[in-house]
Amino acid sequence: MPVLTILIALPFVGAAIIGLLPRRRPEVVFPVAIGVSVAPLAVAIYLLAEYSLDGTTFQFFENYVLSERFGIAWELAIDGISLFMVVLTAVLFPLAIAASASVRDKLKTYMILMLVLEGAVLGVFLALDLLVFFAFFEIVLIPMYLLISMWGSDRRAYAALKFVVFTAIGSAFLLVGIIVLGILAGDAVGATSSFDWRVMLSMDISESTQMWLFAGFGIAFAIKVPLFPFHTWLPDAHTEAPTAGSVILAGVLLKMGAYGLLRFNLSLFPDASVDLAPVLAVLGVIGIIYGAAAAIVQPDIKRLVAYSSVSHMGFIILGIFAFTSQSLQGSVFQMISHGLTTGALFLLIGMIYDRTHTRAISDYGGLAKQMPVYAGIFLFSAFASAGLPGLSGFVGEFTILVGSYLTLPVLTIIAGLGVILAAVYLLWAYERVFTGPLNPKLEGLKDLSFRELAIMVPLVVLIIGLGVYPKPVMDRIQPSVEQIIDRLEGASDYQVPEFGRLTDVESVVGVGHEGGGG
Amino acid sequence: MESASLLPVAFEVALLVGALLLLLVAVVAERKASVWGPLVGVTFLLSAVAGLWQWMDVADNGGGLFFSSQNFAIVRSPMVVMDEFSALAAMVLGTVGFVSFLGSWDLQSRLGKRGVEFSVLMLLGVAGLHMMTASPNLVVIFVGLETASIAFYILAGFTRKTRESDESALKYFLLGSLASALFLYGTALTFAATGSLSIYGANSIRNFFADQIVTDPGILLVGLALMLVGLMFKTSAAPFHQWAPDVYQGAPSGAVGLMAAGVKVAGFAALARIFMGGMISQVDIWAPILAVVAALSMIVGTVMALVQDDVKRLLAYSGVAHAGYLLAAIVAGPEGLEALWFYLATYAFMIVGAFTVVSIVNGPGAGPTPISSLKGLASRSSETAWLMAIIMLGMSGMPFFAGFVGKVLAFVAVEEAGYLWLVVVGALTTVIGLVFYLRVVITMFSSETDDSAGVDSLEVSITSRFAVVIAAAVTLTFGVLPWPLLDFVRSAIPF
Repeated sequence: MPVLTILIALPFVGAAIIGLLPRRRPEVVFPVAIGVSVAPLAVAIYLLAEYSLDGTTFQFFENYVLSERFGIAWELAIDGISLFMVVLTAVLFPLAIAASASVRDKLKTYMILMLVLEGAVLGVFLALDLLVFFAFFEIVLIPMYLLISMWGSDRRAYAALKFVVFTAIGSAFLLVGIIVLGILAGDAVGATSSFDWRVMLSMDISESTQMWLFAGFGIAFAIKVPLFPFHTWLPDAHTEAPTAGSVILAGVLLKMGAYGLLRFNLSLFPDASVDLAPVLAVLGVIGIIYGAAAAIVQPDIKRLVAYSSVSHMGFIILGIFAFTSQSLQGSVFQMISHGLTTGALFLLIGMIYDRTHTRAISDYGGLAKQMPVYAGIFLFSAFASAGLPGLSGFVGEFTILVGSYLTLPVLTIIAGLGVILAAVYLLWAYERVFTGPLNPKLEGLKDLSFRELAIMVPLVVLIIGLGVYPKPVMDRIQPSVEQIIDRLEGASDYQVPEFGRLTDVESVVGVGHEGGGG
Repeated sequence: MESASLLPVAFEVALLVGALLLLLVAVVAERKASVWGPLVGVTFLLSAVAGLWQWMDVADNGGGLFFSSQNFAIVRSPMVVMDEFSALAAMVLGTVGFVSFLGSWDLQSRLGKRGVEFSVLMLLGVAGLHMMTASPNLVVIFVGLETASIAFYILAGFTRKTRESDESALKYFLLGSLASALFLYGTALTFAATGSLSIYGANSIRNFFADQIVTDPGILLVGLALMLVGLMFKTSAAPFHQWAPDVYQGAPSGAVGLMAAGVKVAGFAALARIFMGGMISQVDIWAPILAVVAALSMIVGTVMALVQDDVKRLLAYSGVAHAGYLLAAIVAGPEGLEALWFYLATYAFMIVGAFTVVSIVNGPGAGPTPISSLKGLASRSSETAWLMAIIMLGMSGMPFFAGFVGKVLAFVAVEEAGYLWLVVVGALTTVIGLVFYLRVVITMFSSETDDSAGVDSLEVSITSRFAVVIAAAVTLTFGVLPWPLLDFVRSAIPF
């Protein structure tokens, strides 16, 4: 059964169903949208359960040739990395859709766009054919653009356009890179072109060509991540987007960039990756510190969380370009964790925004007295985001730092400051919003409703679960990460330092466990 | 190969017979649009069928050169060529003509008895366009170009009571005649240099290049350059595009679709035949020049479209950019033909659909159409807005829409021909182009409505609706599943 194709198709089918709903019954749109968005989650859970731990990296392989001449194929597969990206996507979308109850205007269009977005994102994480990957990567822009510019807040037009222009310029370079690479691969197999990732892996590309291609792919993904100094679109887009848009942007869309770096840059251009790793790692660390410092001074709570994303994504970049098994595993884990924690924070901010229609921190104060449950969950999410031991954020950041220290000790020490700064900006924000005397304007606010609680509980459970017992996740990530390291070692002169490879699964998890306990 | 059959000119014959019948019918029923209207539609469809017939005949019998003349200077120079290339052009032009006829029906039925004239001009124009693609003889190509051009000059000024339409027609006529003259002059100089007017045949330009080494190419180069300028003017490639925004803006919306789509199809097909059929051996000379013009068109078209406030001007400038991508496909040589045809066949429908939407929104006879008149279209006619969004995304080259396939194919071919820089320019301008296409989309879906545009739900006639649906269907279908069309157009190599 082509389960991955079905997975990609389900949201589109859902969008079509919503499109066909009768115009006179707007009240059914919301429940139907939640219903159809749960379908991909069911498939994702099935994949999670069926994903075999026998060490094979790519599973559920599907391959239908679309064009023999141009070497284009509908080629899908799932490995330890994409598995969790798919699960993360499938978890966050129903929650984001459920959190959109305050959307009144053009609800049908809104839900159609959300579902199209979900289908496209799933396509990004599953496609192994570079042209198909690009197609999904690029089309993601359109629903996101429309979501921001139609349902965003005051400066939505500016933010949406900035988002599109930044990311699309990146994808222009990506497209050129893919075409050049595709023709090189075509020469290798005797066709006009070939866009099969596996064909490209077997090619021997000269180092200078690798550099250019790395740059082309790298710019696109660096903008998406976003890596300093390409991050300026992010605070605007996250802040102006509607709640669901922010959740998906931070939770899923940013991961597309990191995923692209992991899947394509590292494997396809190993020499260039090794040569350029210091540059990217430095930019990642600058992002960590800069994002955190900028977050501290933000007067707007949503913008604060947006800048915290820049900081957290910096950790992921550092981990990716430290090239040790632990750092890569930590990066993938942090991608999941960041999706959950930042998703939770954006959802929470959306819930309070629905009540007060202000995001300025100074408009709040003493909210904990008025909304104790809300305050508790907010504090929990802030702790998770700041990396409190026992919660998912800690496992990811700690594993990254441990792994990166082996190859990039100085940068890792500087990056460690980011963890402290995270506590500063998040807890200070908590203090200003929730403690002190209650701002009189906030009197009469109701605490979280059952629906809102139902949205937050799954995230809370996942954050604790991953924080306490990360082993099942790490076990699945590890073989795929080891494969990337193998490729790096095999194709370039890079050697993983001692302790940088853990072929023994148990000891990897040991790292996580120690962290979890400490 | 000689034949007395009329099959090689079946497309033109169908349209001309249709046009004559129409004039006859008009004598008794010029005010009964329901009588003569279907006749026009059937004629366009029959002409497309003629193209299909030609295609199948070529597949069976191999096509060939026809209607050779015995002339004192030009020994047996053929006048018509029938190959997959011309047959495909016939099918595309026939169907595009049909769709643009549907799109302009609101205008024609409103014109009263002059509506017949409008239709006749459309039929004649399309016949002329196809002559450009189906003749190996430069003079016949010129005759086709003029037939089409004159028809379109008149169409541009058809609502001559409005000043914009008048201005548009005059501008189009003056600059267009200059371009025609340049093309003709180029033809003469080419003849002077090569001794031939024919692309194919015994004493042809192609054989001229095969047989001799051109030691003194001065006159030849000037001739080629002038022909190129003439065709680039007609297809609105930069830097010969300045007329297009003014003409598109002023002409009645119902007439612009065919003007924009048909001329692009025929102009680029003729360009491809002249350069690839006649002068493929000289590719190293013309390809770099075309590459520069292509890049210029992409940049100028995209940048200028960014600052337009009128939908028709915006579409005109976007057409300049599209001319750039199409030229890039020609730069790639025969490898790019597939991309060229795919691009032309899908773009032609998109542009017709887009102008049909413009005429739905602002009336088919209207000239200037500010972008703000699209405000709130989604709430006035959500179907039209969605279809227009599909067309806009198709033009912008978004994946899963036909424009993307055409662009990527062109880029692949261009990169294979060794023009990486052109691919980079193309990719970047595509991205920047996204800004103005999305601006149209977001305007349609924005909540505020323009006071002048009204807030009532929009009446969309069945014909316009049909035209837009076809255009959007082509955009989406061949964007998701391009393979059947690709395999089809792949065989359309010039003789």
